[in-house]
Amino acid sequence: MAEEKKITTDEILLEMKGISKSFPGVQALKNVDFVLRRGEIHGLVGENGAGKTTLMRILTGVLPKDSGTIILKGKPVHIENPRHAQLLGISVIHQELSVLPNLTVGQNIMLGREPRSFLPFLVDWKKLYRASLEHLQRLNVDIDPRTPISELSVAQRQMVEIARALSFKADIIVMDEPTSALTEKEIESLFSLMRSLREQGISIIFISHKLEEIFSIVDRVTVLRDGALVGSMPISEVKTEEVVKMMVGRELGEMFPKDSVPQKEVVLSVRNLKRGKELRGVSFDLRRGEILGLAGLVGSGRTFVARAIFGADPLEEGEILIEGKKVHIGSPQEAISLGIGFLPEDRKAQGLFLGLPLSHNIGITGLKRLSLFGVVIFRKLKELALNFVNKLRIRTPNISQLVRNLSGGTQQKVILARWLSLKPRILILDEPTRGIDVGAKAEIHAIMSELAKEGVAILMISSELPEVLGVSDRILVMHEGRIVGEFTREEATQDRIMLCATGGANNG
Amino acid sequence: MAKEMRIEGRELLRKSSVYLILILLLLTFSILSPRFLTASNLINVLLQTSIVAMLAIGQTVVMLTAGIDLSVGMVGILCGAIAAGLATGYGFGLNLGTVPAFLLTLILGSVIGGVSGLLIVFGNLPPFVATLAMMAVARGLTLVFTQGKPIAGLPEDFVFVGSGSVLGIPFPVILLFVAVVLAYLLLARTAFGLHIYAIGGNKEMARLAGVNVRRVELGAYIISGLTAAFAGLILTGRLASAQPNVGAELNLESIAACVLGGTSLFGGTGNVLKTIVGALIMGTLANGMNLLGIPSYPQLVIKGLVFIAAVTLDILSTRKRA
Amino acid sequence: MKKFLILALSLVLIGGLLASCAPSQPSPSPTTTSPSPTPTAKKITLGLVLSTLNNPFFVTLRDGAQAEANKLGVTLIVMDSQNDSAKEASNIEDLISRKVDAILVNPTDADAVVPSIKKANDAKIPVFTIDRGANGGVIVSHIASDNVAGGKMAGEYLAKALNGKGKVVELEGIAGTSAARDRGQGFNEVMKNYPDIQIVARQTADFDRAKGLSVFENILTAQPEINGVFAHNDEMVLGAIQAAEAAGRTGIIFVGFDAIDDAIKAVKDGKLAATVQQQPALMGQLGVQTAVDYLNGKTVEKYIPVPLKLITKENAP
Repeated sequence: MAEEKKITTDEILLEMKGISKSFPGVQALKNVDFVLRRGEIHGLVGENGAGKTTLMRILTGVLPKDSGTIILKGKPVHIENPRHAQLLGISVIHQELSVLPNLTVGQNIMLGREPRSFLPFLVDWKKLYRASLEHLQRLNVDIDPRTPISELSVAQRQMVEIARALSFKADIIVMDEPTSALTEKEIESLFSLMRSLREQGISIIFISHKLEEIFSIVDRVTVLRDGALVGSMPISEVKTEEVVKMMVGRELGEMFPKDSVPQKEVVLSVRNLKRGKELRGVSFDLRRGEILGLAGLVGSGRTFVARAIFGADPLEEGEILIEGKKVHIGSPQEAISLGIGFLPEDRKAQGLFLGLPLSHNIGITGLKRLSLFGVVIFRKLKELALNFVNKLRIRTPNISQLVRNLSGGTQQKVILARWLSLKPRILILDEPTRGIDVGAKAEIHAIMSELAKEGVAILMISSELPEVLGVSDRILVMHEGRIVGEFTREEATQDRIMLCATGGANNG
Repeated sequence: MAKEMRIEGRELLRKSSVYLILILLLLTFSILSPRFLTASNLINVLLQTSIVAMLAIGQTVVMLTAGIDLSVGMVGILCGAIAAGLATGYGFGLNLGTVPAFLLTLILGSVIGGVSGLLIVFGNLPPFVATLAMMAVARGLTLVFTQGKPIAGLPEDFVFVGSGSVLGIPFPVILLFVAVVLAYLLLARTAFGLHIYAIGGNKEMARLAGVNVRRVELGAYIISGLTAAFAGLILTGRLASAQPNVGAELNLESIAACVLGGTSLFGGTGNVLKTIVGALIMGTLANGMNLLGIPSYPQLVIKGLVFIAAVTLDILSTRKRA
Repeated sequence: MKKFLILALSLVLIGGLLASCAPSQPSPSPTTTSPSPTPTAKKITLGLVLSTLNNPFFVTLRDGAQAEANKLGVTLIVMDSQNDSAKEASNIEDLISRKVDAILVNPTDADAVVPSIKKANDAKIPVFTIDRGANGGVIVSHIASDNVAGGKMAGEYLAKALNGKGKVVELEGIAGTSAARDRGQGFNEVMKNYPDIQIVARQTADFDRAKGLSVFENILTAQPEINGVFAHNDEMVLGAIQAAEAAGRTGIIFVGFDAIDDAIKAVKDGKLAATVQQQPALMGQLGVQTAVDYLNGKTVEKYIPVPLKLITKENAP
């Protein structure tokens, strides 16, 4: 077996050369090369935003590339769209499952290519189910193709997706975080399936945040950082620590000004928060005037911690204490009345009213204080808005500007202003600087620092390690719904945090 | 063991709740009124349901794609009026006879549905908006064409479509039966039908799977226009005249039939048979309450309550499956 | 499990509603001691299908019919077609299913009701039309207001008020409608008897208030002297009154028809001298009476005119 593998893995199946791609304001990929051999499992790793997903979206025809060439089986190809990619034998298993729950297994596998019977518009159902059964059997998966998808588990649905990919005669399967929703046992069977596909000469590009998974399954690993290729080598030639170093290895700039604030009394304590797989017992303290960084990979449960404290999701277990007193937070309104502010991750979907003017966006949660007998006093609203426009240096032509027309950084300041208008004791910021430019970032960091000085306790969630390291007084690291590491500002390094976050170490 | 049985019970309930409600209604009325459970009355119910049911077939197809067609009732009325005009010489000044008038009208219905479809598929208008506009246009055209007055004096064979019967079975019921069989086969047996469900499940995924989403969606609205035209012809024949001012509630009743039958407003789930049962529930309720001599004002209240009960039941029986 | 409970509860609720709404089933008591002057061997059931119950006129008609039915000891089933011909067809079919003894229908449309009437004919159920007629099928009797008599009534009143002489204008309703025809006919028959009354203008204003206003404006310009106006309905006469007021013309006696609320108010205010009122309650009463008479073997007239009533300041409700 091993010999066979050796022979097949020498043939280069796919070569992506000098791929570049930029989005407005961001160079997502810079001259990246990627080589995939036949019958190998190839790990693709990097921090969030390193360019893995962009590279794969170019390969699968979702995004057009700016420059570079793709050579498939020795021939240069131009991949026009996802459908074209499938016909070329490139299939993708998405992070979010993409099977239709209202159809059966067989219908999903053969969708768009249903075998027809004697009349061209009639589907030959027998043939369809027979063909789909063959694809399933090739995977050694025991699912009746007539079962509705809605009755399958997540892992089974994934198998159906893989069967669908194979039905296109795929020889490249991209798996984007396929294990994120699976149990330990399901992951094991997915891996054995991947190995058997490899034996059939199929190449798999495996994207995962979990380094232990990378090391247990892949043959080669390619590391991207900031849109550029860092290295590509057989997995046997590297150690976990080296890969981590390659992933994070940038120098810390001086863009994160942080005045040390004396630590004071505990404002918020959470004890043993539990909620399904998302939170498996989270406990920590947050002090007055402190910026507490909450690091971890996407999906590690950071946002759920924030949502639980803010009363947005119900808890199964655990308690929350504010200034030593046990409180029950059943809804965001209650959280607000307790002096908690929450700046959500997805500004547009959860926080901003894009069609309303800036002043209304700032005033909306505190309308009670701005109104008399239920009638909003617009003069007060205006004063409030102007006050914050000056204080936070919000760049806007006037306060009646619609928020839709403001830049990302300015929008973020608007939400920040909204919460500050309530004079919160505790402020939770989820990815406060995502998608905003460097200058605005520094300003937001300065504002946070200022607030901390005034005594506000800040919990900051961020996927950007340099930001976490630069701004936080103390750092917690989450992995799979638990806090797996705690560092002081002095102890913390990117490597140590990354090692914790990928489950590679028990504690820091 | 007990748990398993409970799950099976739930499963059974989920699959058959709409049938269950119809059966319970039939039982209730059979007990309360001796006249209810007679062949002639049951045929009456079918006859009275046939127009809404016909509209609801097309509506189901559209709703399965996560769309909606608010124009069906008015398109039906328009088609009925145009057919009456063509068959009597009113308006156009030429008398084509019943059969050519029908064929032209059915084509007209499909074309109107197609225009809605084009607006939705290529103009990217939300279905609600496109068909709402089409409803207004169809209503306006009807009034312009008829001058707001009924068109009477229809030929015998035209009236037969709505009022005649074969072997004691009303012709509209026969038409409905044929339409249901065809629609069922279309949705369950053809690639087009499968693609309708796929689009309703997730349009983007269906597109990526190689389904020609635009063509299928367009087809759905054409079918809806066609069934609307059929319903309009039946209605016109039934009243032996084209009435420009009827049908105000037909749109909502067709949607209600689909929803009662368990068709999701978000697309992807539902089928024609259940829709017909949904229409029958409403028809049975109206007929039964008439037979019981319930005054018309409380009838509306009861209708609303049954509707809420049925839909609540459907939601409850499907919810915990996610 | 909870779902079963909810299902069960809702169905019980509906069942309860159905039961409570159902009229208390008359026990088939042979000891009928009703004061009915027509002794009935078997209790008679009549169906009354009204074009709408959203109009006070028809609600009053129903009340009159119901009172008469109670008096005669017959069961009356009332159905509302909500101005929808299709609903009307269903209602009549349901009445046929119930095997009622006779159907009284106030059609939504003279043509659309024909297939349903034919069905009743096939089922050997006698059909009576009320207020509005039907263009086909076998109708035992048509019960409607006597518009000719109403027109006469208006004419007599106007003639008396003018002391048998003066210049009069007639505002006509939509040409070709039976109401316009009959009301005009009655009015003009009376006018013939008063040689000193001159009809100086006769124009149509389509039963419409706005048209009544503009048409009468023109007439006012053309006719320096007008002493009386008869309009085929109140809407037109109210429009005419507005025109007269705007032109500052006084001393005109206005007579309308229908006794709508606005008109009764105008009568009370002294702006409108009189209006002719239909009697829907009487119409309902006569409808039930005629049907019961027919079922008891009496011969009934093909047309039962319902008398009208003149409303003046003295008797305005």
